[in-house]
Amino acid sequence: MKIGVYVCHCGTNIAATVDVKEVTEFAKNQPDVTIARDYVYMCSDPGQELIKKDISDANLDRVVVASCSPRMHEVTFRKTCEEAGLNAYCMEMANIREHCSWVHTDKEKATEKAKGLVASAIAKASLLQPFEPMRVGVTPSVLVIGGGIAGIQSAQDIADAGFQVYLVEREPSIGGHMAQLDKTFPTLDCSACVLTPKMVDVARHKNIKLITYAEVETVEGYIGNFKVAVRKKARYVDEEKCTGCGDCAKVCPVTISNEFDMDLGARKAAYVPFPQAVPLVYTLERDKCMRCGLCEVVCEAGAINFEERDEEIELEVGAIIAATGYDLFDPSLEPNYGYEYDEVITGLEFERLCNASGPTLGKIEINGKEPKEVVFISCVGSREREGITNYELRITNSNLDSQTSNLKPQTSKGNEYCSRVCCMYIAKQAHLVREHISDANATVFYTDVRAFGKGFEEFYWRVKEEGVNYIRRELTDELKVDKDENGQLRVKTVSEGVPIEKEADLVVLATGIVPKEDVCETARKLKITQSGDKFFLEAHPKLRPVDTLTNGIFIAGCCQSPKDIPDTVAQASATASRACSILCKEYVEVEPITAEVDETLCCGCGICESVCPYGAIEVVDTEEGRRARVTSVKCYGCGTCGSSCIKKAVKMHQFTDEQLIAQERAALATEEVVF
Amino acid sequence: MDEVKLIGFMCNWCCYAGADLAGVSRFHYPPNIRIIRVMCSGRVDPELILDTFLYGADGVFIGGCHLGECHYLEGNYYAEKKIEMAKRLLKAAGVEPERLRLEWVSASEGERFAEVIRVFTEEIKELGPVKCEKEELEAACIAAADYKLRILATKERELLEDGNKYGEVFTMHEMDRLLGDMVQEDYESKRILLKLKKPMSVKEIASELNLKPNVVFRRILDLKRHELIEIHEIRDNTPTYIANTREGVE
Repeated sequence: MKIGVYVCHCGTNIAATVDVKEVTEFAKNQPDVTIARDYVYMCSDPGQELIKKDISDANLDRVVVASCSPRMHEVTFRKTCEEAGLNAYCMEMANIREHCSWVHTDKEKATEKAKGLVASAIAKASLLQPFEPMRVGVTPSVLVIGGGIAGIQSAQDIADAGFQVYLVEREPSIGGHMAQLDKTFPTLDCSACVLTPKMVDVARHKNIKLITYAEVETVEGYIGNFKVAVRKKARYVDEEKCTGCGDCAKVCPVTISNEFDMDLGARKAAYVPFPQAVPLVYTLERDKCMRCGLCEVVCEAGAINFEERDEEIELEVGAIIAATGYDLFDPSLEPNYGYEYDEVITGLEFERLCNASGPTLGKIEINGKEPKEVVFISCVGSREREGITNYELRITNSNLDSQTSNLKPQTSKGNEYCSRVCCMYIAKQAHLVREHISDANATVFYTDVRAFGKGFEEFYWRVKEEGVNYIRRELTDELKVDKDENGQLRVKTVSEGVPIEKEADLVVLATGIVPKEDVCETARKLKITQSGDKFFLEAHPKLRPVDTLTNGIFIAGCCQSPKDIPDTVAQASATASRACSILCKEYVEVEPITAEVDETLCCGCGICESVCPYGAIEVVDTEEGRRARVTSVKCYGCGTCGSSCIKKAVKMHQFTDEQLIAQERAALATEEVVF
Repeated sequence: MDEVKLIGFMCNWCCYAGADLAGVSRFHYPPNIRIIRVMCSGRVDPELILDTFLYGADGVFIGGCHLGECHYLEGNYYAEKKIEMAKRLLKAAGVEPERLRLEWVSASEGERFAEVIRVFTEEIKELGPVKCEKEELEAACIAAADYKLRILATKERELLEDGNKYGEVFTMHEMDRLLGDMVQEDYESKRILLKLKKPMSVKEIASELNLKPNVVFRRILDLKRHELIEIHEIRDNTPTYIANTREGVE
């Protein structure tokens, strides 16, 4: 066995805390090591050349690279080995950057630790076996979950590339939150005017199958070969027959509030969420419909079908894009904002009020009255640090009346992150107030204006110059919205240390973006990891922003983090490109981290079969008796079978018992054993 | 060197990535721990843990995904039971079970990872180096490799939730007693087995291991039935036993 060890300085990232020369010298004296070198950037071209040259000149049969995390550069160095003719799986990495130099300061101890990690990697390397990656075929189709602007863009791009797309939307119509918006910042484009043509295109696209009013139930399989079960909820309206005439809604006797209009308006139990809905097919809401049958009588197309049942649809796809969107922060969680009053609304409710197809047909009015003083409050539910709410830090100034002082400090209900869109949507809405009501005043209580995007700063100044009054307050400054004895709405807060009180006819809360209510369930179904704030976690924050840690599953839009429409669309197109890079292949390579049963040791007890979560192991009859066998493509390589096998007959490739034991012993053996 | 040595076996999908994030974010923690990557915490079995202690670790850390969030659906539930088994064996060998720690750390919890390792390292420093005889750990290690305890560690979930082949569901209390007895018995057997590298009588073993002679005798009969030991000779009407050098039949 000839092992080459390559210790990276990573500039000063490693070398500043770890004595790289000393580690290299140490490696030279380890068993089977023939070459040990250090280099300033092992992943650079000359660094990789160094390894390649040694592999061919010195006939190395195993390589150890001591540098960053294998999650960063394992692929890089495997390729290096392969190019030099060494099997890719004969390379092992020692993580002396993320797990060592970056987290320690004591150079002597960090160097000792690095030696332990390198010894451990060398011990494993000497036991590595060459493998060939498994090749699996690819189903050339994609599942897009969520029909908001992200899902629409992804679906369109993939379909344009010639692949089959299944676009699954939970609501009766695609369109998502963007369909609810009136204008978009900073260009003041009409949201519906840019969105609805895209919705129609998606529905008409020959490569897109639209599955609305449906939920993804289960996802099984792996990159290239996912099996998805979708439950299409009963609409009680035949999608093929419905012409969208709306006669059923006209006669429907059940009136309920319309969630598309943020419950500001009403709709019937037989409904389309909004006039431009796609598909333009009516839905009878199961829980609200009285089964009176009036709609059935008037429907000329004969589309009403009370016998309809939920339908289970099985899909086979090669990749999945999650574009499941977001919810808005619920301002009633923080009572100081006075959301209980009719005159206090959220930003999204304001959008519906402004919108020509909204509940007031575009007139900004509350209880039939046009507001003259409109106050916007920024950062509602955003930028709150744990334990500190906007009113926890008390103002000692007695000018603020006693009403506020009975508020008790409480733990933050909001989120620490910035929602990124609120500053600009407030600016836009303040502009719209003055566009709709020329003699109205708009005031914005803000903390910082984050106008970071293209054209944002310019737009912010335009709005300010139009006469919108921006008043700065600290996030820790108490803020309270309530009514005085005359029923007049008042906003009380502190600006630059001075208490300030403002009368208002309408208060708009810039509520932030929060993860979808069922985000954890979706994450579990898709095996997507989540960040601490519960948004979906990307595989790498810089270099793999739309990948997830599950190969073949990508994320777009606000399910990943709060973002505006252009960023969402860009991300959606990125997922399309990532998905197409899988679909255009005949096969994908899957890592051969799979279990194998040594049939000479196996006793056929079946304990492995019982613990395998994927049904990848089966006990079968052989000439020698009952033996367990692994179906490699079904095996994901968790190794639970290996740790359970009573005869130790299961070999978990690349993480064998021998390898793990050798690693642990070597890591401990750099100094005298205690005994 | 008075510093304690820790080994961490960490799931590639969560805790290992959490450790990476701690690195990227520069959250510092003490340098005592050496991290070894596994694909799932369910991969770690009691034998590996005991072997790690046997070869000089003062603490072993297992990092998995939060329950319900396992990358492989339920590997971490198995891990939980296996770590429990390993703790029982450690206790039998006279090693503080607190030296073995199982924690759920997700890929996003870099700061928490550093905190968890900081606390664990401090706790092990308090305990100091492992104080027990090598043979005690060796016996625990062999017991962990034995099929009986491997079955129990894996089947515990099933026995508690679905019941055994006769449909009898075990209560936590019953399971605890069953496991306690099994581990103690198995551990004692292995200790005796290790002693019998040279011929000894029941009485000699009992005094060396500080066990009651009748207990030793019962274990000896068991071992003999499994052909792991044989009678070496009979001295003054007292038989001495020796470990069978042939491959044992289980």
